[in-house]
Amino acid sequence: MTTFSPPTEADQDPVPSGRPGARRGPRVSRRAWRAAAVVAVFVIGLGLPVVVSNPYYLGIATDGAVLGILALSIGFLASRCGLISLGHTTFFGLAAYTFAISTTNWGWAPLVAALFAVLVGSAVGALVGAAIVRTPGIGFLVLTLAIGQAFYQLSVQTALRPLTGTYDGIPIIYADGQTMLGRDQADMGDASQFWPIAWTVLIGFVVVVTLVTRSRFGRTIEAVRENEERARFSGLNTFTPRLLAFMLSATGASVAGVLFALKANYVSPNVFSFVTAGDSVIAALVGGWTTAVGPVIGAVLYVFGQSELGATGNLQLFTGIALVVTIAFLRTGIVGALTSLWSLARRVLLTRRTR
Amino acid sequence: MNQAVLSADEVGVSYGGLRAVDGVSLTVAGGELHGVIGPNGAGKSTFMDALSGRCKLSAGSVSLGGEDVTGRSVQWRRRNGMSRSFQRTSVFPGLTVRDQLEFVADLTHETELDLVIEALGLGDFLDVTCSSISYGDQRSVDIAMALIGRPTVVLLDEPGAGLTKEESARMLDHIRGLCREREVAAVLVEHDVEGVFRVCDTITVLDRGVVIASGLPADVRADPQVISAYLGSEA
Repeated sequence: MTTFSPPTEADQDPVPSGRPGARRGPRVSRRAWRAAAVVAVFVIGLGLPVVVSNPYYLGIATDGAVLGILALSIGFLASRCGLISLGHTTFFGLAAYTFAISTTNWGWAPLVAALFAVLVGSAVGALVGAAIVRTPGIGFLVLTLAIGQAFYQLSVQTALRPLTGTYDGIPIIYADGQTMLGRDQADMGDASQFWPIAWTVLIGFVVVVTLVTRSRFGRTIEAVRENEERARFSGLNTFTPRLLAFMLSATGASVAGVLFALKANYVSPNVFSFVTAGDSVIAALVGGWTTAVGPVIGAVLYVFGQSELGATGNLQLFTGIALVVTIAFLRTGIVGALTSLWSLARRVLLTRRTR
Repeated sequence: MNQAVLSADEVGVSYGGLRAVDGVSLTVAGGELHGVIGPNGAGKSTFMDALSGRCKLSAGSVSLGGEDVTGRSVQWRRRNGMSRSFQRTSVFPGLTVRDQLEFVADLTHETELDLVIEALGLGDFLDVTCSSISYGDQRSVDIAMALIGRPTVVLLDEPGAGLTKEESARMLDHIRGLCREREVAAVLVEHDVEGVFRVCDTITVLDRGVVIASGLPADVRADPQVISAYLGSEA
């Protein structure tokens, strides 16, 4: 299981021999096993369209992967830095719009437009982060919400109609003959064609987040979250690591925004909406943001629920119930609870075996 | 006597109309342990905050190794040799003891973390999260983090708070040993008056934000103003 939890003894990087209590063990092989497991999951996942031929369920999987990247970027920031953002749709939406405008209005190649869109989302993330990461707690949450809403309003301004299409949005049209990774525009709307791209990016982002979390930088941002004053009195300028974590998170949201635009072939002001931001936070929370896969699982469940229950008109009711149950009984989310259960079962089994 | 590495010159801290610290000066040399004592509300912790950069001075200045550091941030001061511990234990509760000590060691380029761990007896629970260990052990972790990186000045705000008398005495002995061994200038605020008189080289007594006595322990103990304001007639 890929988790944000502090590495166990067996997971730790080898400690230099001069370090206190330096430990040695079969870490290289354990690491190799873990890498092999990730590759296996990746390869098996790539084959999903072979197993699931129903485009409806494959669509849920691709939408879940896209929302999962957004939820993971939010969950990473919340769990590592203690900063809960209700405004990550700013970067998600900006990247989606940038992709739409640069392909449709400017005729750029989709791949170049996608990279540029991620760059724009990340750069705005850096600017926004520099302005707000010093603000703790509820202040941060409200600021992110306000910034997200400001971008929503910006996208519907009449003066920007030629660029954003205001409430009508932008139907994305590639320039003649343009393809994205060998797929033409119609293919991108086909879940079975789009799935390998979404899956590859998702696994890549999960791996990046996990490696960052387990790195020395991961320990630093955790220390800042735990006790910022102590971190400063230990000689750390706490602004920089927080900003870097925010930028990584904003980049993740931007990547998700580009994937969304690629898949939907359409962007509208809804990409900036508070509902999208709130849904992503709820997905991360329900799945469990103390783990890297939790937000992804939460996102897939959310998209599935949306598809199955949306027609009843009671989606928000069920979402609310899921949130209450999670907060009341599953403080670490579904995946966190399953991880705890697995640890408990292992302990019980080991105890029985040693008797 | 070694050269002065920490000096406070007429330091003042005001909160609105209240002068919590008013014109306090001191000089501490390498290897010297300087105690600051006084009744509750005397301004001891505020003075420590003023020295460490946690609060702004309304008057005076603080120098570290001869350089005026009054306007410097706390992280700058830490990177340049001034560290502190806190009255209320300040650790990283969710990190293992090892992780937080190595975190500070990385920041301060400490190469002999083993020595600090051994001196403060932390070897038995390095891989336990700090929130799971006793308050006394957390206190040791807090002080260890202040001593990592070979600081030239350590400010210790009530290191014995929350400990039993025996634990407090042992802690003060540890601190004295480490300061002497590492040639660290230390300022110690402590309610255990007997402990302060036992381990400190020099002592300053504060009352209502001002210095009422300063000097060698024996001289301070005999000072009539100190006896009247703090120690009592039986001292």
